[in-house]
Amino acid sequence: MSERRSNAVVWTVVGTVGLIAFWELIVRALDVRPMVLLAPSRIVSTFVDDPGPYVHDAWVTAQHLVYGLSISLVISLLIGAALAAVRPLEHASQPMLVLVMVTPWVAYITSVVLIVGSGQRAVVFLVAFVTIPAFVYATVGGMRSADPSARELFSSIDASRWEVLWRLRLPSALPSLFTAMRFNIGLGLGAAYFAEGAALRLDGLGDTGRRAASFSDGEGLWTTILCTAVLGLLAQVTVALVERSTLRWHQSQR
Amino acid sequence: MTSVPGISVDRASKRFGDLEALAPVDLDVRAGEIVTLIGPSGCGKTTLLRMIAGLERPSGGSISIDGGTPDAARKAKRVGFIPQSPALLPWRTVEANARLLLDLNSGANPPSPPDPIELLERVGLGEFRSAYPHELSGGMQQRVGLVRAFALGARYLLMDEPFAALDEITRADMRHLLAELCEPTGAAVVFVTHSLAEAVFLSDRVAVMRPRPGSIVDVIDVDLPRPRRPELEDDPKFFALESSLRTTLMTGAGRE
Ligand SMILES: Nc1ncnc2c1ncn2[C@@H]1O[C@H](COP(=O)(O)OP(=O)(O)O)[C@@H](O)[C@H]1O
Ligand SMILES: [Mg+2]
Repeated sequence: MSERRSNAVVWTVVGTVGLIAFWELIVRALDVRPMVLLAPSRIVSTFVDDPGPYVHDAWVTAQHLVYGLSISLVISLLIGAALAAVRPLEHASQPMLVLVMVTPWVAYITSVVLIVGSGQRAVVFLVAFVTIPAFVYATVGGMRSADPSARELFSSIDASRWEVLWRLRLPSALPSLFTAMRFNIGLGLGAAYFAEGAALRLDGLGDTGRRAASFSDGEGLWTTILCTAVLGLLAQVTVALVERSTLRWHQSQR
Repeated sequence: MTSVPGISVDRASKRFGDLEALAPVDLDVRAGEIVTLIGPSGCGKTTLLRMIAGLERPSGGSISIDGGTPDAARKAKRVGFIPQSPALLPWRTVEANARLLLDLNSGANPPSPPDPIELLERVGLGEFRSAYPHELSGGMQQRVGLVRAFALGARYLLMDEPFAALDEITRADMRHLLAELCEPTGAAVVFVTHSLAEAVFLSDRVAVMRPRPGSIVDVIDVDLPRPRRPELEDDPKFFALESSLRTTLMTGAGRE
């Protein structure tokens, strides 16, 4: 490890410890109510007391996130490839994509439940639905960024449309897809947490959190919040690791 | 398919909307011959080359390769194209880039194409097989571009100012290397350049072009012996050809 790298690690640790200490201090000094903000030490002790339910909930939420993002990615790649190939289609799809992006999903969850039913299906649907636009934009933009000279080279030997897509356009879209994935993890996790609470599911961090809140159980609420954050962190780290090994050739990874 | 091998451009022209990019031009390239297109920017060199490659259709006239259409030659992978930028795929290693044109549309590959590894060794990149393009200098990248085209074992090679972005010393090395690579293959080459030295050193014939509208002013024979070696560039005959070519170029551009 280079000196610069190990310095970076040291400072990250310093920042993390500082943040936790500051949080603990504020809560204790100002005697903040648990529902408003719970001290980290009490979150940890709540979790350690009885980790079973939280681990189970986190597992349920993690599944919602992974299913939702996977479905969204597959659909977005198909849509994106079509849009990148046919310009009129891209223009025609703009209103829909923009609408999905700007409409607050908090508002239409009830109608989602009415359409796809309650429980897991509603949660996965919402996660997939809200993450599609970012993936589609990343796919279209990335595929369009393919080197024009390389495209010319491909057609100089009559490479098939499939070969152009698979060997040129898709790899060109990888860097922007990874960026979209990082963004969508946060968005999807928020959607999953919210939908679990609203979709009549009886487990998942969001549902437990909502019920804790309705009983003014600050400890339960904040423990689900922290579990959600840890889940998001794990997802980000996983994506970063995959990105580093997949995009070794890309300037962002040098 | 007729029995005449070679490229035949027969009064081919090209319009882009109102712009007459290329007035009707005639040009024949026989099998194994190296012909250079030289002329100022915008005189239609790239347009002519792309039409020969089957990447663009002529607005008038016709082009044939071995008696068939450029499109048929493209589908049969009989044309190796070398673009101005090396256009290497950054996610492929040097070796995988060298094999790229063989990997694509592989049904049309020749029965026994040249070995890309051996070609990489001949251009001095044997040790860089598993490097990525960003680890190479511009000259090395363009050498991979050459190998990629030569690995096709194609009878025709079309090159669009492949060395334009390189420094003068690297350029000289590259033209010497290209001459060396071309000799054993017997491939016919259409080479586009701005450089008089490249034109004289590499060519059997040089077609001098001028703009507005793009057209061929003159075709000059280069009767220097083959094989061409770097020492040739110190020969008085080489200088004489270079300066007569310069005169033709200037005249064509209307700067007598
Ligand atoms: N796709 C195109 N659409 C419109 N104009 C073009 C196109 N390609 C080339 N041209 C025009 O045709 C002329 C010849 O271009 P080009 O063949 O690239 O010249 P050269 O390669 O000799 O510099 C230029 O005026 C250029 O602007
Ligand atoms: Mg050009």
